Amino acid sequence: MAASLVRFVRGGLGRSIHVVRNSCLLQQQARLQSSTTENRPTVRPSDAVTHNKLAAFGEYVAEIMPKYIQQVQVTCYNELELMIHPDGVIPVLTFLKDHTNAQFRNMIDLTAVDVPTRQNRFEIVYNFLSLRYNSRIRVKTYTDELTPVDSAVPVHKAANWYEREVWDMFGVFFANHPDLRRILTDYGFEGHPFRKDFPLSGYVEVRYDDEVKRMVAEPVELSQEFRKFDLNTPWEVFPAYREPKEAAPKLEAGDQAPEKK
Amino acid sequence: MKHAALITIPLQRPTTLNPTTGLVGLAVSHNPHERLRVLYTKILASLQTMPQDAAYRKYTEQLVSERYNHVKTEPNVEELEKKLNCGQIEEIIFQAECELALSRKMSQWKAWEPLIEEPPANQWKWPI
Repeated sequence: MAASLVRFVRGGLGRSIHVVRNSCLLQQQARLQSSTTENRPTVRPSDAVTHNKLAAFGEYVAEIMPKYIQQVQVTCYNELELMIHPDGVIPVLTFLKDHTNAQFRNMIDLTAVDVPTRQNRFEIVYNFLSLRYNSRIRVKTYTDELTPVDSAVPVHKAANWYEREVWDMFGVFFANHPDLRRILTDYGFEGHPFRKDFPLSGYVEVRYDDEVKRMVAEPVELSQEFRKFDLNTPWEVFPAYREPKEAAPKLEAGDQAPEKK
Repeated sequence: MKHAALITIPLQRPTTLNPTTGLVGLAVSHNPHERLRVLYTKILASLQTMPQDAAYRKYTEQLVSERYNHVKTEPNVEELEKKLNCGQIEEIIFQAECELALSRKMSQWKAWEPLIEEPPANQWKWPI
């Protein structure tokens, strides 16, 4: 009885699945009629006109100021980037602001990037907007922990607080800044939190002590010792920049391969 | 009575000009041609101190003399604004002042000289 019931149910299910499949096929055919099959991935269309315009302007600036501009590039998202020598911060920024064909009068952002493996570990990044030509530009320069960079405040007043922020977070010193002091961290804070070698938990923790009736700062004590997190994504992030893997060193004809143990 | 006298001062503005530029801090210029003529002459004189083959001198001379010709040939302000195609005449005057200041600074910096220092290896390599 039970077996026949199972059989019945199976048969009924199979039949109903068959029906469903038929209706699916019908639907697919209807869709095929409405539009052709799209197998290609959606790719961002390249804007050659903007790209060429930006590249031409980049070459124009590089030709005018060859003393300071080390490299010009247009990224794949159509952003013009000027890589300059740190001595050229004031001249290049003034040129971009005052030249009739540039007029980058608005400082949008100023920040830094910390890459500890480099000889000059800090990259200072300036972003500008030209309202006249509706165009943006990015200027990059570099420095290390000790070398001061010229402050951009004489050119752009907006740089004042941005440079204080970079000083606070990265410890980059800006020469001739009118008021270079901490802006984001707490009073008496030590260290520069955005540096890559600054520990995630910080160096001190602050709490209210009931016995001494005041705030006390103590070195951080973690209940757990250092734990290693695997934060790497399993996907390849920059496939366009993949470098060819180094071929295994070739052995000479007479040499023998080292024995494996 | 004193206040009434203050209020009834007639506004001395040429009717051909805009009453205002509509931009904060940018006053209406009453003699834009004269002002532009002075500024462009000064810029051209400042460019003369640079070497002949400096790219900044080459491009700016071309740009400024082209605008200067428009200023010399076009007496009507509105037509001139249309020809220069860079906003109102007051903005153009302001830009000319900036360009003059820049040209003087450029000859101090000598920005046409070759690169002062190559970047360290892999400085601009990204990703690392």
